[in-house]
Amino acid sequence: MRCLVIEDDADTSRYICNGLNEVGYNVLACDNGLDGLHHATNESWDIVILDRLLPGQVDGLSIVGKLRDLGKNTPVLIVSALTSVDERVRGLRNGGDDYISKPFAFSEMLARVEALLRRARPVHQTTQLKVADLALDLRTFRVVRGTMPIALQPREFRLLEYLMRNEGQVVTRTMLLEAVWDCHFDPQTNVIDVQISRLRNKIDRDFSPPLIHTVRGAGYRFGPGG
Amino acid sequence: MVKFTKSIATRLALGFAVLVAEAILVASGVFYFGTVGVMDRRIDGKIAAISNRLMESFRNRPIEELARQIERELHDGIDSDTEIFLVVSPAGQRVVGNLTAVPSATRPLGQVVTDEVVREGKRATGRLIVQQLPDGGYLYVGRDLSEQRSISDLVIKALLAGAGASLLVLAAGALLFRHQIEKRIGHIRRTAQRIEAGDLTQRIPVSSDDEFGRLSIDINRMLDRIGHLMDGVRHVSNAIAHDLRTPLGRIRSRLDEAVRREATVASLSEAAGAAIEGIDALILVFEKLLQIAEAESGVRARSFEAVDLNGIAKDMVELYDATAEQRQVSLKPAGGGAVLAQVDRNLVASAVASLIDNAIKYAGPGTTVEVGAYAQPQSVAIVVRDNGPGISAEERPRVTERFYRLDHSRNLPGNGLGLSIVSAIATLHGGALQLEDAAPGLLARIVLPSGRPAETVADRPAA
Repeated sequence: MRCLVIEDDADTSRYICNGLNEVGYNVLACDNGLDGLHHATNESWDIVILDRLLPGQVDGLSIVGKLRDLGKNTPVLIVSALTSVDERVRGLRNGGDDYISKPFAFSEMLARVEALLRRARPVHQTTQLKVADLALDLRTFRVVRGTMPIALQPREFRLLEYLMRNEGQVVTRTMLLEAVWDCHFDPQTNVIDVQISRLRNKIDRDFSPPLIHTVRGAGYRFGPGG
Repeated sequence: MVKFTKSIATRLALGFAVLVAEAILVASGVFYFGTVGVMDRRIDGKIAAISNRLMESFRNRPIEELARQIERELHDGIDSDTEIFLVVSPAGQRVVGNLTAVPSATRPLGQVVTDEVVREGKRATGRLIVQQLPDGGYLYVGRDLSEQRSISDLVIKALLAGAGASLLVLAAGALLFRHQIEKRIGHIRRTAQRIEAGDLTQRIPVSSDDEFGRLSIDINRMLDRIGHLMDGVRHVSNAIAHDLRTPLGRIRSRLDEAVRREATVASLSEAAGAAIEGIDALILVFEKLLQIAEAESGVRARSFEAVDLNGIAKDMVELYDATAEQRQVSLKPAGGGAVLAQVDRNLVASAVASLIDNAIKYAGPGTTVEVGAYAQPQSVAIVVRDNGPGISAEERPRVTERFYRLDHSRNLPGNGLGLSIVSAIATLHGGALQLEDAAPGLLARIVLPSGRPAETVADRPAA
């Protein structure tokens, strides 16, 4: 995976680049908007991570805007210290695909990068999701593990659907809040953990192997493998 | 005193005075020409008529009869002290009349003109008409204008005196006007100066319900708001000093200790882990404070849209249902149909989430928490009601203060910011957070205006 990081703060840039290198990404770092714009528009990238505020005339939003003007739909993750909802909306309106505010945990950022990369791949329409011996039917809203039907509330069904669609990938609590409950704020309690634990009781407790795995300091991963 | 040209009061008063003076001038002119002018025209008509009558009556009769008629006119006691008659023979000799001297200059016949004459030995100004008699002599008919002139002089003098007096009254009025305006503005300016000097408790005295009174009320309201924000800032500084420094100190001492001891990889990574946890908690507090500041400054008013409050209530119940189950609290939606309000969905949802979180945390196992929205006559409300122990009446007003925590809740996780944020969010929407005794339990109500809060605040009429 080729990844372009445009970030003027040396420490943050090193934090992002080291992390991405560790998980096997091929990373190029730029510390100003002009270089960043040049690399972003003249080369082909799988994902661009850029800081919203950059020194000089070229700021993060104008780079995204330029990319989109050129017809490139490279996924762009905007990183910013401007945390208000308005700023987030501006970032997304200008063509950003996701927005993460500083300070952030690397695991949260990686999960979002992976989600963006998945989204960039073509999606195939399905009505049936299947992971190991768990099957979820999107038309009839029925969930079956092995031969046992499992009763889920509507919101639990959406939670399970999201986990199954992102099988094998880390999903963070924030991603679940946004995707399943449409909450663009952080309730800052362990509500998601409790929701997951209840879902676990329903689909994992009496079965083997367990499908929901906690990833320490990051979130959850869904799948038969540990 | 304000410099002459720099006082709008003076300019207004002066402008007004000039206008009134012009009005007086016009009125005087109309009066003058309506009295003196009309009198002059009447005199002219009268002497022309007399002259014509005499000429007509005595055209074919001897001049002696005309002379006798004139003698009669002069002695009939009517207008005898102003009328002028004179008949002159073709040779230029005075035949009869009350003019001592025959006017020397030749003048147009049949027209009324002004002339200097000597009447019964006295010089006077008169209006005269001359016509030629059939025998070649001349008939002078006229009227002495001395009396006329003195009346006109009197009128002009009276008008001037009246105008002068009016101007004096005007000048005094203008000064008074200016004084009044300066006095009213002076209140506002003095208050502003005292506030600028640092005393934010000053308010403009509101004495009347006129434009200045309303302006003062508006300014006072603005000052209240500023004062409120200043209090908030002061409170946050205190809170930051107290509640952020302590955890920072804890993190620091823990890292310090880890570095000074003989460090093993295990002990260092444990210390680092603890530091990250501590810092994350601080970031949380920091974000909440920013959230309050953001809500209180009202910057998000533009993202308001029509939202169903019962929809929010239901969503938040579904977010917290697992948590409630785990704590053996029965959490259920209690609202009816759609209740619409103009709000920022995320802010209101986070406020409701915060109230539900509190209710589950403090009501305890075996209790019931109900969440629902309903419409009131002038407003809408979202209510979170539990039947737990509740909050005592003394403590209820204090729990919305930043970092305030009830004594018996200090062992529970939390940072004392939750209700401050809910309160700030309600205020931002032009509403309020109300806490009541649900007997037993606590009833938390977010009251929101049912109209369009963003517009009612921004477009409030000046009155």
